[in-house]
Amino acid sequence: MEVRNNPAYSHLTSGEMEELIDKLYEQEVKRLGLDKPFLYRSFIYLKNALTLELGRAQYLTSDSGSRNVRNIILERLPATVLLFTTANLIIFVIGLFGGLFLSRRYGSKLDKVIVTLSPLSSIPGWFYGIFLILIFASWFHLLPYGGFVDAPPPKDSLNYALSVMKHMILPVISWLISYSLIEIYVRRTFFLMFSNEDYVEMAKAKGVPPRMIERRYILRPTLPPIITSFALTLISSWMGAIITERVFNWPGIGSLFYMAASIFDSPVIIGEVVIYAYLLGLTVFVLDVIYALIDPRIRVGGA
Amino acid sequence: MCPPLLRVEDLRLYFSTRKGAVKAVDDVSFEVDRGETLALIGESGCGKSSLAKAIIRLLPRNVSVYEGHVYLNGEDLMNLDEEEFRKTVRWTGISMVSQAALNSLNPVIKVGQQVAEPLILHKGMKGKEALEKARETLQRVGIPETFADRYPFELSGGMRQRAIIAMTLITNPDLIILDEPTSALDVLTQANIMNLLKKIKRELNLSFIFITHDIALSSELADKVAVMYAGQIVELSDAERFYKSPLHPYSTKLMASVPTLRENKKLEFIPGSPPSLIEPPKGCRFAPRCPYRTEDCSRDPPLISLGDGCYVRCWLHWKG
Repeated sequence: MEVRNNPAYSHLTSGEMEELIDKLYEQEVKRLGLDKPFLYRSFIYLKNALTLELGRAQYLTSDSGSRNVRNIILERLPATVLLFTTANLIIFVIGLFGGLFLSRRYGSKLDKVIVTLSPLSSIPGWFYGIFLILIFASWFHLLPYGGFVDAPPPKDSLNYALSVMKHMILPVISWLISYSLIEIYVRRTFFLMFSNEDYVEMAKAKGVPPRMIERRYILRPTLPPIITSFALTLISSWMGAIITERVFNWPGIGSLFYMAASIFDSPVIIGEVVIYAYLLGLTVFVLDVIYALIDPRIRVGGA
Repeated sequence: MCPPLLRVEDLRLYFSTRKGAVKAVDDVSFEVDRGETLALIGESGCGKSSLAKAIIRLLPRNVSVYEGHVYLNGEDLMNLDEEEFRKTVRWTGISMVSQAALNSLNPVIKVGQQVAEPLILHKGMKGKEALEKARETLQRVGIPETFADRYPFELSGGMRQRAIIAMTLITNPDLIILDEPTSALDVLTQANIMNLLKKIKRELNLSFIFITHDIALSSELADKVAVMYAGQIVELSDAERFYKSPLHPYSTKLMASVPTLRENKKLEFIPGSPPSLIEPPKGCRFAPRCPYRTEDCSRDPPLISLGDGCYVRCWLHWKG
């Protein structure tokens, strides 16, 4: 097309034009390395991916019209990060304190109820989400059905933020309903295990008040594994909440993945995987630094 | 006469398990005077540690029966609720070195701070002052001051044990329970710690309950000896008298199983194993393993007083 419609080539005969097209085609294939074997091409992609050069999407465009996979993904990442960091942070706090609370009341009625109900968490958040939308959006018209902000978006930033928060309520609650129980259960079991440590018993013998035992003798030594599990949950939620984002029409990475997968836009799909890998690597690196800060046993050989 | 420092009366501690109630401490009574050391000896699983835990009230979750009386300075501790007990008894009245001493320090808090913690909690001291006292106490048990700023994993086993002993001393408690304080240590470190304990006992005139399965070790420290078997005290006696001539068949057998360095003696052992604490044998609990068994032994022997604070639970010593 570019050749046929270009006035600079209008003097060419159709045969010459075909020839030119073929030549340009060959050139492009060579430039992109498509004449190379698969393995070789993989390394070309790897090299580009290191600089976040993730190629061009086949069909999808970013909201600003860019075909660049990096732009498409980075444009949608903040929405996902915002929603699921909020949800996970709340779940984490609930799990931590709920777990501590239950481990104190091991064997009580409440404990048994939570333990019995915790398999309910195998029902994913979006399932509850559908019902929440039905109740709060459809019946009571209290909250929006989905999306990121009102349409049209409010002009000043305060109202914009409030509107976004209003849209976040239902997805966050759907996740709370689903994942809080199992989180509390897991933490409770974890704390129970560690409350049998000898130094916890020693602290009790020493007459350390119960609250302080929890803080200094149970929570503090178990912080590294807790932070690890939180960080990993967080990262994977940024990538994995495909259906939740779909249900709430949330313009994030998950619904992008859904769209890309349904029209087979492989550069976008692969690009997301690469970004995920980066985030994972980065997180593990940050975790290593945090470990050294909170656990003296890891600070060996330092100053 | 003033009451003894610690008097335990008819103490019972049962645990409920799926197989039935485990009678870990069954009707135990004894006294410890100020400045006195009671050695509590017996095989593994005879209820020694449970007795310690019953005294200092560190109970596991599956306790089914916990009754009797524990008098400290004449006051019945069983009447105190947990909060009162924590404030008035824990570490101010009774402190304890537990069996798993190597794991008894919080791995992420500096040793000095852990040693100082009871002072801050119970004596209302400020952090700095308490830490200073902790350094002093650590030095007294032979740990250089600078180790106060180290973490437990940087200390050897013997040092950790010393640090814990320093921690038990720091609040000047009336009574210290030593639950197998040296069983996780090698012989040299063990000797070291024993010498330290003897020194402390001499200098501070402290009372100890020294729990061990090692009779030779117990003789180092004991003024009085209590032998436990299957949750009961079977012999309670003055240390000198006990080591010279134990009375209960179980005690004699225990003594005969102690190796000596020079003599080439054949070590004796007691056939069988301690009875299950779920359904202890009827009558004398030692009878199934006892070489002097008679028909009397199918009846429960009482704790027979032989005078001079010496008691034995065996029909052989029954007179009239």
